[in-house]
Amino acid sequence: MTGLLLSAAAAGTAVATAPAAARTWTMVTAVAAWCCVAVTVLVFALLLRRTRRSADSKDAEVVRLTARSAQQSAESAYLANVTVPALVSLLRKGAGAKEAQEQVNLPTDTQLLEIVQVFSSAMEQVVQHAASSDSELRRAREELAQVNQEVEQVTRALLPDMVTRLREGNSADTVLAEWEWPPSSLLRAPVEVFVRDLARSERRGAAAQVASARALSRVQAKTVSMLADLRDMQERHGEEVFGDLLKLDHSTSQLGLLTDRLALLMGGRSSRAWNKPIVMESILRGAAGRIAAYQRVRLHCSTSAAISGFAAEGVMHLIAELMDNAANFSPPIDEVHVYVDEHSAGLVVTIEDSGLKMADAAMRHAEEAVAGHMTDLASLPGTRLGLAVVGGLATKYGISVNYRPSSRGGTGVVVLLPRQLLAQRRDTAPKKTSARPAVAAAESTRAALPETAPAEGGDAPLSPPASAPTSAAALAPSSPAATGETLTPGSSARRAAATPNGLPVRAPGRTMAEAEQDRRDRRAGAEPPAAGDTPAQAPHVARDAGSRFGAFHAGRTSTGEDGPSGTGAGPLPEPPSAQ
Amino acid sequence: MTRRPVDIGDPDRLYTITGGRSRADDAFDLVTLIVSESAPRAGMQSEHARILDLCRHPTALVEIAAEMKLPITVMRILLGDLLAMGRISARHPPPPRPQAALPDSALLLEVLHGLRNL
Repeated sequence: MTGLLLSAAAAGTAVATAPAAARTWTMVTAVAAWCCVAVTVLVFALLLRRTRRSADSKDAEVVRLTARSAQQSAESAYLANVTVPALVSLLRKGAGAKEAQEQVNLPTDTQLLEIVQVFSSAMEQVVQHAASSDSELRRAREELAQVNQEVEQVTRALLPDMVTRLREGNSADTVLAEWEWPPSSLLRAPVEVFVRDLARSERRGAAAQVASARALSRVQAKTVSMLADLRDMQERHGEEVFGDLLKLDHSTSQLGLLTDRLALLMGGRSSRAWNKPIVMESILRGAAGRIAAYQRVRLHCSTSAAISGFAAEGVMHLIAELMDNAANFSPPIDEVHVYVDEHSAGLVVTIEDSGLKMADAAMRHAEEAVAGHMTDLASLPGTRLGLAVVGGLATKYGISVNYRPSSRGGTGVVVLLPRQLLAQRRDTAPKKTSARPAVAAAESTRAALPETAPAEGGDAPLSPPASAPTSAAALAPSSPAATGETLTPGSSARRAAATPNGLPVRAPGRTMAEAEQDRRDRRAGAEPPAAGDTPAQAPHVARDAGSRFGAFHAGRTSTGEDGPSGTGAGPLPEPPSAQ
Repeated sequence: MTRRPVDIGDPDRLYTITGGRSRADDAFDLVTLIVSESAPRAGMQSEHARILDLCRHPTALVEIAAEMKLPITVMRILLGDLLAMGRISARHPPPPRPQAALPDSALLLEVLHGLRNL
């Protein structure tokens, strides 16, 4: 404004000062110039005002926006610090998204609201998923625990039980039916497969065992009959073939040991069974005769004890196996010594070799084998089957077998035969006297004494004792009334068990073979029957008179009638007629 | 299966009795008389003891063999053992008379003729 006034004043001054001629022009110019200035000033003023107004409005907006942004940041801070954690905790507790949103202060901002909504729904899903996988995990763990338990039960209890029952001979179906399976058992199928397979192999094993035992029993029967035949031939043939027959006999006996060993392992039986007590010397010789190196075995047996028939074969086999072992594990030139001692506990048989001392491990192994622990065929070693058989026999008869270092440098085996395996001593004494009834009565009195009492006999002179009670008992076996006290029922029955016509009477417990043997004896002895004797007495008394001739006759026919025998049978018929 | 009573015998085989020997010396023939010189001793082989028992009076070899039910060869081996130990003595039967002690064959022929002419 002041500009305008100043410019108007300046223009008036100019006009006033201007010469008259120029006055109009000056006046026009001054007016025009002033108008221009006025317009410019007005325009500027207008512009300025407008600018100021917009600056004001901008300021206000800035303030508003600042306030808004502060509010928003406060809201987001609230959201971050309060709402979201609250929401999370609510959702975690299992509330639904909507429900949770109702319980928290939602931000007013739509974007934030949206974020919250998206977040809460996503969070809800996550929580649900986590819950479901959690429960799934728990279920899986339970199942796993159950399966574990089942597996444990199956391995610890069920399978061993089933295997035992299978071994006892039950069929797979029986065994499987006894077990209640849980409905959803994973193990059922494999266990069934296993049990069936095991049952099949058990059956196969048993069948193989039975088949081999059966086959072996045929070999055994053949061996025994071969031995009997060989014995016949040895009687019949003379010295030329005698050695060969003995060799064959020995080979057959070894074969018998081998087959018996296998048969016993296979659950079969021995090839022989004795029906009478066998004296210890015969047991030892029978055992030694079955091994290859029998000539290296030295027997030291002075006892007259006998092993009962039922155990005789088992004892013989056991001792044969131990002798075989001792002979095989000692140098081929050294002898194996066998001693028999009688103790109150029973008979002690000691088998000693002078070979190398057994190593500790081998000794332990042998101890284990003879203790009868190796009953399972599967655990048998390929060799040394004999010791396993020894173990089986020892367990069966209650024999104790112990290894110990031998005083001869090698190994010793101590076998204790318990007393219940021994035959009653009374049994053997009458048997012996009746075994050689050909001797005249007076002789048999003398003969009986050293047999019944060898210990006191010794190298005594041949004079008959005055009247020893033992010899009297042995001498009068024909009067059962007198000897009833001393004789066992078996031996007295043996004497009286015949009808007057000589037919055998089979007492209970006696085998036909023995009865047959008696009858044969009786018939041989009774050729010239003595008148006035009771039938029971006849054989023994009759033997006195005729048995010498009978025995001679028997000896002559047995050697003479089979042609040349090489034992000087040619001149045999001559001497009686010549004299 | 066989029903033969195969097990009535003894379990010991002959080669265990003879200790594996199959040859006997020729000291004995069938009728050699055996007589024991001592009583059996404890610890003897049972066959030896029985032989000594049986031979208290002179007994022929064949008779002992029949009594003991053993083959002659085995008996000879056992008796050989006993003889070597000096526990028995063997009495051989009287040997046949020497040729010179027999009557002349001409004389016998004459006797034969005489007999035929009777």
